[in-house]
Amino acid sequence: MTRFQRAKEIIYALLIMIAAVAMIADPGEGYKIIIGIIGLYFTVLGIIRLYYYFTMARFMVGGRRSLYTGIIMFDFGLLAGTLTNVPHYYIFLYLIGLHAFGGAVDILRSLESYRYKASWKLKMTHGLIDIAVAIVCVIFLKNINVAVFVYAIGLLYSAFLRIIGACRKTKFIYIQ
Amino acid sequence: MQIDFHYYATYAAAYLAGYSHKECMDISYSAFMVDQCSKTLLKKLGADTSAATTMLQLEMMDAGGDIISLQEITAIWSSFHFLPKDLYAQKSKHPKRYMHKYRLICGPDSELVKKTVELAKGSSLQAAGIAMHVLADTWAHAYFAGTPSLVINNVDNDIYEITDPDDRLTDRRIVFNHNPASPDDPEKNSYTNSMYVNNENSVMNLGHGRAGHLPDYSFMRYRYMPAWDDYRMMIKDNPRDYHNAFCQMIHALKYLRGLTDSFETGVYDTDAVSPYDERIRQILGRRQLLASDDWKQFAHDLSNEDIEDFDIDKYQDEYLMAVAGKRPDTFLGRFIDAASAHKKMVCTQIAASKNPLAGFAGKIKE
Repeated sequence: MTRFQRAKEIIYALLIMIAAVAMIADPGEGYKIIIGIIGLYFTVLGIIRLYYYFTMARFMVGGRRSLYTGIIMFDFGLLAGTLTNVPHYYIFLYLIGLHAFGGAVDILRSLESYRYKASWKLKMTHGLIDIAVAIVCVIFLKNINVAVFVYAIGLLYSAFLRIIGACRKTKFIYIQ
Repeated sequence: MQIDFHYYATYAAAYLAGYSHKECMDISYSAFMVDQCSKTLLKKLGADTSAATTMLQLEMMDAGGDIISLQEITAIWSSFHFLPKDLYAQKSKHPKRYMHKYRLICGPDSELVKKTVELAKGSSLQAAGIAMHVLADTWAHAYFAGTPSLVINNVDNDIYEITDPDDRLTDRRIVFNHNPASPDDPEKNSYTNSMYVNNENSVMNLGHGRAGHLPDYSFMRYRYMPAWDDYRMMIKDNPRDYHNAFCQMIHALKYLRGLTDSFETGVYDTDAVSPYDERIRQILGRRQLLASDDWKQFAHDLSNEDIEDFDIDKYQDEYLMAVAGKRPDTFLGRFIDAASAHKKMVCTQIAASKNPLAGFAGKIKE
């Protein structure tokens, strides 16, 4: 990771922490702002990735990965933006779904790292806890305040791990 | 390439081109110095940091993703380690942004390598050494670009070592891992590479990082699918390429020494090598991660002189003790001047092709 990428990860983690604190402070309204931010974030990211696909990655072996991730991100962004008038349960289920999806991706990536004998435990733990938080939130969905609180704790934990990840050493090939 | 080829094999090539032992030591020292002369070292020496010929791992990690950082990275790696094959290469219906990266793909026998050798003509032994490093790397680093680029430098996991060119059924799949603590193991076909980062300008996507050190091992023959070649399989035959590099170095050094009138690309001095050909091919083909001992012994057998090991501190005191005006006359002073001249030449050529990745044309001082 470059210094710029580390800084980006740390800033992103801090934003997640702020969102989590906002949710804990006002579980009833805090999530609406958060869903707006998430929507905007994914939409912009999706557009950037699609632009990258059409100008660069479509000429590359395996470049369609950029197209698929761009479409999925863009779709997530648009979907998130349309959820403000929907009952709390559905919005929160959507957030939980996103959280669980992130956890599943982490588990898959840790399994890939395990196959390559690279460090995998931290990512696996992260993924498992993300999914556990999502399950607990679903269980307490009827009591929205408890569910929001558990979800916010999960966000804080994720942000904390992101900061740790940003500060770890990473391997790249030194060319001679 | 590593110290085995850039230092010991370069010594042997220089000796076969007719240089004296002392001259060979200076040329080979300069050739390998290209892998050592970082900004950090130049700062320590109080020298101009724009002459850096390499970047340390931490310098790379600290590099930003902005255009200025990209230009700095590209100026160093394209000039000294991944000399572009064709700055005006054509590919229809590809946007400029893609072509700027595509045109920096490294390859041997290019116009730029001819200009590199010609620039060193009549200059110092240090310039000759730098030119030999650049020339040799065009063979080892072919098909990768000296700029961070996912769309050019990415390699997928389907890489196979060719153990018998006549029997492709014996090809062995190469297994990559990203574990810093895991050394490359040719017996298990297990190698380390940079991890996949889905970011076009990440330093993880610089040069051959995604193919690990496979291009650096002279014994390695492998096939893989480069990201830029429209799903065609590429076969990389390092023993053949390293042999060509060795023979081309002799041809170039004979030109620099004044024994021949011109340096032509595609010409390899196989005559000079023929008495030793079997031994050289044996060294190149041996399955080992570093062939320094073999090349050192070969160089010693050629010149009957002791080949001292590379010592990065060897000329630093001379440079530091020299008064400011006399520094250009020291060994490192001549190296720095030659490196600056070479970098300026390559960056000027890249900028002249309207490619902004190694710096904007207006910024390059003639």
